[in-house]
Amino acid sequence: MSVGGAGAAAFELRDVEKDFGGIRVLAGASARFAAGRVHVLTGPSGAGKTTLLRLLAGLERPDAGEVVRAEGLRLSMTFQEDRLLDNLTATANVRLPHARLRGRELEAFLAREREALAAAGLPVDSRPVRELSGGQRRRVAILRCVLADADALLFDEPLKGMDEGTVARVMDYVRPLLAGRTTLWVTHDSREVDLLGDVRLWHVEGGRCLPA
Amino acid sequence: MTGRPDSRRPDAPGRPRLATWGIRALAVCAWLVAWQLLAWAVGARIVLVGPLEVLARLGALALTGEFWASVGVSLGRVLAGLLAAVALGTLLAALSSRISAVRELLAPAMGAIKAVPVASFVILVLLWVSSRWLSLVIAFLMALPIVYTNVLEGIRQTDPQLLEMARVFGLRTWDRVRLVYASQVLPYFRAAFSLALGMSWKAGIAAEVIGLPDLTVGEHLYDAKVYLDTPSLFAWTVAIVVVSVCLEALVGRALDWAETRWEARP
Repeated sequence: MSVGGAGAAAFELRDVEKDFGGIRVLAGASARFAAGRVHVLTGPSGAGKTTLLRLLAGLERPDAGEVVRAEGLRLSMTFQEDRLLDNLTATANVRLPHARLRGRELEAFLAREREALAAAGLPVDSRPVRELSGGQRRRVAILRCVLADADALLFDEPLKGMDEGTVARVMDYVRPLLAGRTTLWVTHDSREVDLLGDVRLWHVEGGRCLPA
Repeated sequence: MTGRPDSRRPDAPGRPRLATWGIRALAVCAWLVAWQLLAWAVGARIVLVGPLEVLARLGALALTGEFWASVGVSLGRVLAGLLAAVALGTLLAALSSRISAVRELLAPAMGAIKAVPVASFVILVLLWVSSRWLSLVIAFLMALPIVYTNVLEGIRQTDPQLLEMARVFGLRTWDRVRLVYASQVLPYFRAAFSLALGMSWKAGIAAEVIGLPDLTVGEHLYDAKVYLDTPSLFAWTVAIVVVSVCLEALVGRALDWAETRWEARP
């Protein structure tokens, strides 16, 4: 575990300020997230962790300052909500970022998806995801994120509400897939830091994002 | 004309129980008996005929080729108008959802189509096109605002969080349409299609009664009125209702089947 610092940056925040309805969430936040590393962001509720992720994903614009992304960076993300397409199967949801696959490529990816679902303890069947439990849907969203053809993965409290056994099972599958990819992982749970292995820790509080 | 329809079909997991069907059949029987008793009480065939006589006349009509040809011609034209309205209504709704100028431009036109009485349209359309195409045009005009309004509402109600997700994952426009919008708009589309189907069929027949195109259900209804042939009038009316009910059930099942297959693909 080391603090944020040197190396080519996948993302950079430069004196970023962001308000929501007159409430200052980020106040001059600056950070440089090295490419190919796992960065864990912790901090109290309402500190601005989700806002920070959304800024990096380009879903919000800063009121002041600058958000820089490496050129050509392909993103994937889990949100606070599952954001699944309710009437599609788990495999169709996981495959969403690969919507153009056809023929043999599609078959190969389907085999990979089935393996991933089984590894995460999810049923491999033709049910639409609206029939899955909340925990199962959460895992589908995580698999969609890690199996996407992305260079940078943003996770917003992905394991929230999962029991320890499921967390261990999911992380056994997910951890190797993070290797060499820029990962930003927001969590409240310090135990997740241990599960992620070699990470760079950041603390978001008081409108700033500082190396922990 | 719009509203968030329930995407889950109430009877989807199982069919209504036998008891429910029994109660419904009993209710229908009770009304048929009341109708027959009333016909006997009135005792004037020109005013009211009972269901037994109507059934007999319908049976006799069904044995003629002209009956089936007339139903086929009327149905074909109405369905052609309906399908054209579905295609154009969906396209216009998609355009309106993207371009506010198109939405503003179409709003008064759609409002006018909804507000103008069918009879006025029928007379106007008769001035413009041959009576052969009358029911097609009227079915189109009846269905267009329904499809347009519902599909536009469905697009506008599409969950913005899903669109945001699609943006992050870099989904292309067509994939966004077929995967995100299609699933969100489908319940609205189903509701619109079902409503438009019934309205187009009824309005199309009403137009035929005024325009009198050859070999159509409307023409036969008019003949029945002119010759005071009340049993035929009732028989053709029953035929119209039966076609409407069967069509709605068939389309509903076809959409269910397509939706289930679409949802279940890996």
